[in-house]
Amino acid sequence: MKSRSLKLREAHKVGGSAASFCSILWDHKAEHFVTSSSSDPSISVHDGLSPSTLPPTILRHHQDGVTALALSHDSSFLASGSIDHCVKLYKFPSGEFQTNITRFTLPIRVLAFNGSGSLLAAAGDDEGIKLINTFDGSIVRVLKGHKGPVTGLDFHPNGELLASLDSTGSVLCWELQNGIVSYTLKGVGPDTGFNTSIVNILRWSPDGRTLAVPGLRNDVVMYDRFTGEKLFALRGDHLESICYLTWAPNGKYIATSGLDKQVLLWDVEKKQDIDRQKFEERICCMAWKPNGNALSVIDVKGKYGIWESLVPSSMISPTVGIPDIQPKKRNEILDFDEEIEEELYGASESLNDALVDSDDGESYHTSRKRLRKKTFIDDDGDAYEELNDGSSLPSASEYRKKTLRTHKEKHGAGSGAFKSFVATIKYKMQSPFQPGATPMEPGKRTFLCYNMLGCITTIEHEGNSRIETDFHDTGRSPRVSSMIDIYGFTMASINESGCVFANPCKGEKNMSVLMYRPFRSWASNSEWTMRFEGEEVKVVATGSDWVAAVTSLNLLRIFSEGGLQKHIISLDGPVVTAIGCKDQLAVVTHVSDCLPSNEQVMEFRLFNIPRMTQELKGRVALTPGSRLTWLGFSEEGSLSSYDSEGVLRVFTSQYGGSWIPVFSTSKEKKQEENYWVVGLNTTSLYCIACKHPEIFPQVTPKPILTILDLALPLASSDLGAASLENELMLKQLRLYETQRIVDDMALAGVDTTALEDEAFDLEVSQDKCILRLISSCCSSDSFVRASELMKLLTLEKSMRAAITLVTKLKLPFLAEKFSSILEERLLKEANEAITNPSQNPSGEVVTRVESKVQNPPASIQTSANTEAFLKSSATKLSSTTLEKKAKVSEGLKLGKEQTKKDETEDATKKEIKKLNLIKNPVNNVNKEGKGLRKEVNQEEARRSSNPFLKSTV
Amino acid sequence: MAGQTDPHISLFSPQEVEFMAEDELVKIVPNMNMDPLNFISGDFGRFVPQIPTEVPLWLAVALKRRGKCTFRPPEWMTVDNLTQILEAERESQSTFQALPFSYVEIARLLFDHARDDIPDMYMVRSLVEDIRDVRLHKLETNLGSFQGTSAVKISNVSAMEVNLVRPFVRRALEAFYKHDKPEADVDRDTRSSRQQREANNEPRRPLRQR
Repeated sequence: MKSRSLKLREAHKVGGSAASFCSILWDHKAEHFVTSSSSDPSISVHDGLSPSTLPPTILRHHQDGVTALALSHDSSFLASGSIDHCVKLYKFPSGEFQTNITRFTLPIRVLAFNGSGSLLAAAGDDEGIKLINTFDGSIVRVLKGHKGPVTGLDFHPNGELLASLDSTGSVLCWELQNGIVSYTLKGVGPDTGFNTSIVNILRWSPDGRTLAVPGLRNDVVMYDRFTGEKLFALRGDHLESICYLTWAPNGKYIATSGLDKQVLLWDVEKKQDIDRQKFEERICCMAWKPNGNALSVIDVKGKYGIWESLVPSSMISPTVGIPDIQPKKRNEILDFDEEIEEELYGASESLNDALVDSDDGESYHTSRKRLRKKTFIDDDGDAYEELNDGSSLPSASEYRKKTLRTHKEKHGAGSGAFKSFVATIKYKMQSPFQPGATPMEPGKRTFLCYNMLGCITTIEHEGNSRIETDFHDTGRSPRVSSMIDIYGFTMASINESGCVFANPCKGEKNMSVLMYRPFRSWASNSEWTMRFEGEEVKVVATGSDWVAAVTSLNLLRIFSEGGLQKHIISLDGPVVTAIGCKDQLAVVTHVSDCLPSNEQVMEFRLFNIPRMTQELKGRVALTPGSRLTWLGFSEEGSLSSYDSEGVLRVFTSQYGGSWIPVFSTSKEKKQEENYWVVGLNTTSLYCIACKHPEIFPQVTPKPILTILDLALPLASSDLGAASLENELMLKQLRLYETQRIVDDMALAGVDTTALEDEAFDLEVSQDKCILRLISSCCSSDSFVRASELMKLLTLEKSMRAAITLVTKLKLPFLAEKFSSILEERLLKEANEAITNPSQNPSGEVVTRVESKVQNPPASIQTSANTEAFLKSSATKLSSTTLEKKAKVSEGLKLGKEQTKKDETEDATKKEIKKLNLIKNPVNNVNKEGKGLRKEVNQEEARRSSNPFLKSTV
Repeated sequence: MAGQTDPHISLFSPQEVEFMAEDELVKIVPNMNMDPLNFISGDFGRFVPQIPTEVPLWLAVALKRRGKCTFRPPEWMTVDNLTQILEAERESQSTFQALPFSYVEIARLLFDHARDDIPDMYMVRSLVEDIRDVRLHKLETNLGSFQGTSAVKISNVSAMEVNLVRPFVRRALEAFYKHDKPEADVDRDTRSSRQQREANNEPRRPLRQR
């Protein structure tokens, strides 16, 4: 995004709070520009190429402030008018004083050369406009008719008309030939009264067809050349009346400056403003650079600036198609004979022709630019477009293709220029971004970083930025004072211990700087900065005790919290983004150029910084045609990504490491909202909902997080229980991950009790979900699917419940099928138990064979505890079991002992008993409920311990 | 109006009505982490920064006082909505617009404690006051047009409004009932009314002022 602030440089000292009218002019080759101020008797001639380095040439000939400047068309003469009543003529660019060409009795307000430079019009507080022959200084004519000070003068480009405007807002159009008024427009402009720091101004369009005059309604009114009829007005966002206006060299744009201290740029054809610029002071004079896309401005304090490339590059340049109206150089003036008159009219005729011609020649070019501009305007997603360096969402690219196609039809495919254009729409690689940042907007507070912990915001204010750091949890987190940012940081990252900032390099002087601010430090002044020469920081990230920055040289630099440069790693591609969490750092880089189908080819790496290992590496999955817009870690620590098509993916170790799409915006009901992802956990997504077409959240009012349930993009099943299917898949995913972690931890010898409990809870809830699915399968008569689901059940208890369920649903054949599945399962487990006797801790076998049936009073809770206990004990060595056993109650001990006994000695007997139970499950459940439950629990306990046998054996 | 002129006649004092309204649920955005709170009325929370949650008004006020949350103004408490309601209230003389049962109390508490969380606070406050005035006036005039009935049905009347008119309406209806049945037992009637007065004359313990 273009930086809109324009730095102004002082050219003339304006004392105190007074406002003075200042002027600025370019010569016709843009080699020099001239400034003056009504409170300064000197005129400055600046070098147009490097105004900052070379001191201006000062012309000090006036006794008082210079109020008017004019350059002849070929820039050979400079005329200046002053409050000291003199009009002086200089050679240009040397600045050599020529002559005091005329004198007034009151201050001069305005000067104008005609097209050939032979005639100078001067006017001011005096009555009458003087037309002066520049060769001998003779006064050719005095035009009287204005009722107030004349402040605006402009010769028509073909030299036959002179328009003048006075401070009361009346316009007179003079025919130079005879000095008569061709028309008067009374009071059309604003009345500026006696304020000499404002001049009423009027300007002919460069093609000479229209006359632009500031209107009474904060607008610019266009009048016809000959009749003075009002053609149209440019009305827009000026809040106060316009005090200066100037046409672009080609007449397609007009720049206006208002008393409301803003400068607007207009597209005259569309009668629409294109761009604007706010200033601290009123801009009293402006001049287009004659050969470039730049506008120089000067304010009432004598400060000037150059607004570069103000016309967007998508539009036709202001220097293209300048109407070429050069009136013949004539020494004798104002004795127009018929011949000349004819010639003049002829010239204007041919001018029109030329314009038409040039239009034709230009039309291809123009329309192309227009079309491109249109794609920019019409596409809602263009914020993304800008974000991605003009590469775009599919919708945008489609649109562009469409316009291209229409374009092709219009102009034929043979055009070589067209081919070159096709080449330019090659999709670009995504530019680097910082997760959780919003694009910079001038004058607005934007997020540099927003995550589940807090946010960093910045606002630009008078050249400096102000950065605020806020934590969402105000109680526990440190309070961070706001910071004045002299570097202009555009990247930031925050975590509990500190925040890191970086800025891109802007030119040669401003190097890219990395800065770290710790929040809690025992030493004072523990902030640190790093400068990068010839290198630019692209992305930053923080973690516990480390800071990472990826630079334009594809270097991953890792610093310690104190600022020690620890590692430098060369990455194998340009960086896209990076994010840190605790010990882990994920970096996404481009692998190759964007595919022709607009798919980004990116790769991620997951580093463990303290261990110096690369834990994962793989491609980044994206929806075709989309961009990566967010990268982060879920609360559980799995890497997640979100793309511009609204698909959230989580990296799992399933299938050897794959991305699983866990959420898709297209599946959400509310289409009118865009979700800006902040974080996620295993069940839900935290995001900020932005009303369409906003893509990014605003800083104020403080956004609140919306919680969305994760929803896999499932196909619409005939089952009609999509939510259950979704739940089941998410649970399976979660269970898988939990068990993987448990395995890892068990291998590493870490206590896994808590996680195992969690896994067990997950199993229970997954079974509940499956049972509901079975019931909906049964109601839709998909029995095969029901039996498949039956096989997925993990707990024997829930398998029995499933049998009960189908029995109640009066599906006896399904109940039979289910029973056989259960039988199979139990047999298998029994076999496993026999082949793996080593899991039993030594000793401690109590010979109470019948206890499980005769000893029912073990409550549900107790048995649940027993399970948990057993599970943990099964994975551990006997010593830990003994230690633990001391803590548990007598009842628990009994339960445990029973199990062990069952597993070792009584396996066969139990099996028979179980089979009996299965034969008439319903009766059994009713009759000997508790005993059965106990049995089930024992079974569960053994089964759930099975996965860990591998590790212990 | 009976209830307004003599506050002792109404059954509950405004403070008491407000106290009861504090059980209404409001949405807050906490800025602290806290586990769910288990109350008799239910579980509230868990509290996660920046994630809106619903809690009873009294809890919200307590948290707000400690700077632990910001209020989310209720949906009805927007300038647009209130303007609409006010217009509708003014238009129809007989019906009342749907507003939360204790909108007066909620509004009052929010204005007292969550000034900074309500956009266009002054506008909202004056609108709520206008609506309350219009509704009260309407209620009073409606009561004036009582016919000899034993039941009155007015929907969408809020807690504070009901509290104001309840004693009067009840006594009026009793009177209608008595006049409709002149043969009714006079003794029983007087006895009941005496008991009533005794109940009303009980010294009232004023609630703690906020």
